[in-house]
Amino acid sequence: MTTADLPLPAGSDQPARPATQALSHHLVHTALVRWHFAFAVVFLLTSMTAGFLVSLNFLGHYPFENTSWLAVGRLRFLHTNEIAYGFLVNGFVGAMYYAVPRLTGKPVLSKNLGWVILAVWQTLVVATSVGQLLGFAQGVEWGETPTGFRPGTWELNYIPVDFLIELGAVLVAAQFLTPLARSINRKMYVTGWYLTAGIVWLVLTYVMGNTLPEWNLPGASGAATVGLFIHDLVGLFVTPMGWGLMYFFVPIILRKPMWSHALSVIGFWALAFFYPLNGVHHFLLSSIPMSVQYGAVISTMAVEIVVTTVIVNFFATMSGRGHALRTNLPIRWFYTGMIFYFITCLQCAFHTSLTMQKTIHFTDWVPGHAHLVMLGVFAFWIFGIITWLWPRLTGNEWYNRRLNQWHYWLTMIGLLIMFVDLLAAGVIHGFLLDSLAPWMDIVNAMKPYWAVRTFSGAMILIGSVLWTVNLVLTALNPKPYDYRVDLVDEVESTGPHAGEAGAA
Amino acid sequence: MDRFANIIAFAGLGCFALAFALSGLYPYLITASTRPEASIAELAQDVPATFHELKERFPVAFAAAHAESDAALTARELAGMQDGDPRHDASEAAWQAAYARALQHGRDRYVAEGCWHCHSQYVRPVSNESVRFGPVSTWVQDHNALQRPVLWGTRRVGPDLTYEGRLRSNDWHVAHFLKPKAVTPGSVMPPFPWFFRDGWQVHRRIDPEVAERTGLSADTSYPLPGVYDTQAEAESALGRAQQELPSSLAAERERLFVTEGNGLNQDGLAMLAYIQWLGTWMPPENEPE
Ligand code: HEC
Repeated sequence: MTTADLPLPAGSDQPARPATQALSHHLVHTALVRWHFAFAVVFLLTSMTAGFLVSLNFLGHYPFENTSWLAVGRLRFLHTNEIAYGFLVNGFVGAMYYAVPRLTGKPVLSKNLGWVILAVWQTLVVATSVGQLLGFAQGVEWGETPTGFRPGTWELNYIPVDFLIELGAVLVAAQFLTPLARSINRKMYVTGWYLTAGIVWLVLTYVMGNTLPEWNLPGASGAATVGLFIHDLVGLFVTPMGWGLMYFFVPIILRKPMWSHALSVIGFWALAFFYPLNGVHHFLLSSIPMSVQYGAVISTMAVEIVVTTVIVNFFATMSGRGHALRTNLPIRWFYTGMIFYFITCLQCAFHTSLTMQKTIHFTDWVPGHAHLVMLGVFAFWIFGIITWLWPRLTGNEWYNRRLNQWHYWLTMIGLLIMFVDLLAAGVIHGFLLDSLAPWMDIVNAMKPYWAVRTFSGAMILIGSVLWTVNLVLTALNPKPYDYRVDLVDEVESTGPHAGEAGAA
Repeated sequence: MDRFANIIAFAGLGCFALAFALSGLYPYLITASTRPEASIAELAQDVPATFHELKERFPVAFAAAHAESDAALTARELAGMQDGDPRHDASEAAWQAAYARALQHGRDRYVAEGCWHCHSQYVRPVSNESVRFGPVSTWVQDHNALQRPVLWGTRRVGPDLTYEGRLRSNDWHVAHFLKPKAVTPGSVMPPFPWFFRDGWQVHRRIDPEVAERTGLSADTSYPLPGVYDTQAEAESALGRAQQELPSSLAAERERLFVTEGNGLNQDGLAMLAYIQWLGTWMPPENEPE
């Protein structure tokens, strides 16, 4: 890889820039970055609040039992959908407005289109949530966005959100594929591969999951497609976006290139090939033909190899910069996320065996696993990206850097508690199922674990609230920001002076 | 391979298409495409007694949900009829149409309320599930229009519902939807009170002396016939009822009051019909090739 392929470190492209000015780059529309991040954080909070409320039901004290539009079942849709479409998409799109023009040397298609996308997308996320709360959800997991049609018919009963989201996704694709296609480097850097493919996959995956199982593919074949949709949404949209941005931000912050280009290539192509083949592992031991199930099992195990190459590459890149984990909070978010990613994927390789499926499927083990991925990996990365960029975007020094540390520790420890708690609950659920214990024995056995889950959820929610307060106050309180405090110095080892570059 | 066009062609389109062919299209070709999917009308051929019962128990909501309800005659009405009376056949057809509509509506509510995030509809060949719930699920059995999209679910907070139909009485389910905790102590299933409000009714509270004598709560009340859309209509019905009472029963007038109706409404009826249907339909035998 030549250095021309590398994204330039932030700031170094305009050496004459005074150290204390808000970021400006002739190609980057900072206002769009800021607004997408702001909406991402709003939906993060509403989604987490919904999750927290749902957890109260499991303690036997749900305060809104008689309010149909705050029903537990409906809030659960909102919890997952706002995280996926409200938080993750806004976070990724915001980060792409920052990264793509810098990477390609070309502006996005149109700034005005950017404002249209911003407005349309938020409207759709809100329309999704409102539709779900009013009782128009669609029966596809992670895709409960209302089709607007009665299932299997063409009778319209609500805003056809699905089709509009497809349209929105096409606009996003046009916005970012244009600069990626016209990049000044004929050979794209790794980030470009991931983002390009991820955008195309988003459009295809969304169309597939929101039309075929409803109108074309019945029963077991529909289930196979639903599994594929669930998996592609995470594996072919969220994952490539996340890794693409890691390949962009990690070298910038650490100020050194990735360790191995060959590993980057293997990681990308193996992801593209194996990941989508995993879909059916969401419905193992079902009536989907066994040949299809075994295919999914084997490719799921193969993914573990891919993951290892990527992790090795990133941790090798870290060599000589280990102190950044202590001194640089964004790097700490990123690398904690990568460790969780490794754990998650290692889990997958075992989960997918039919022996383990037998016990853990249908139990809280799976939500435990899902929280480690969606929160522990991708949300952590977006937290890191926003934390890295926010002072640059506003030009203001953090209102309070310690609040960011609180955010990290509350979220990280809260998540670990939740994870271990739900895994334990899942195993017990699985064995009680096998034992033919009466159903209420299973429910009662889960209750202590559900209490711990609510507690850990509260920790995570509080962490995010503190961070949000910090983001808002930072934006409102002008205080000169010197970006040099956040640069990772190039010492070879963690010397005694390393920590002084700025406490995160 | 690191050119834009190659990424789009091989990764973006190629890998996606391959995966779809192997894990979406291939299962479709070897299962669903080999036999026709059962339509909702086919699923609703045999109208069960539990559905007939709904018309008698919740006549107002039933009539509102089903225009055919006049033609759909209850067992008592049919009993007094001559053989060959044309109303027999009309009644049968009306029942099937009403049942089909209720199943579809019920499935829609099952999706919208997120029941499928707490209940599965697939029995696996492991963990003694076939002992606990019933025969292991086959794809043929799910090859019907009510499984669009499939409601297999991925989490079991409550038990699997594949074979829930006929397992319990309508009354059990009605009480359970209203107050799961009262029926199953310690349950974490949320109540669904919005399956119940079907308008306004005039109620008559029990005579306190009778309550005293029989050990009933003094708050016990019984609805008078009639359900009204608005509170105002119910109030005027209350006024009429009070006037009709002879002056010797003046004390009774005070015991009449208007309250929200607590029978099942259309959503609740449909939900119940759907739950009672689950697992009762068996696919016709495969025709020999
Ligand atoms: C928060 C999770 C949750 C949701 C949402 C939920 N249930 Fe339940 N359900 C349970 C639990 C737990 C039980 C077992 C305890 C009990 O009998 O209440 C149960 C029991 C049942 C039973 C009795 C099964 C049997 O035969 O023992 C039926 C029927 C049922 N639910 C139907 C529904 C329907 C219909 C919906 C949606 C309108 C629904 N449930 C939503 C958790 C849930």
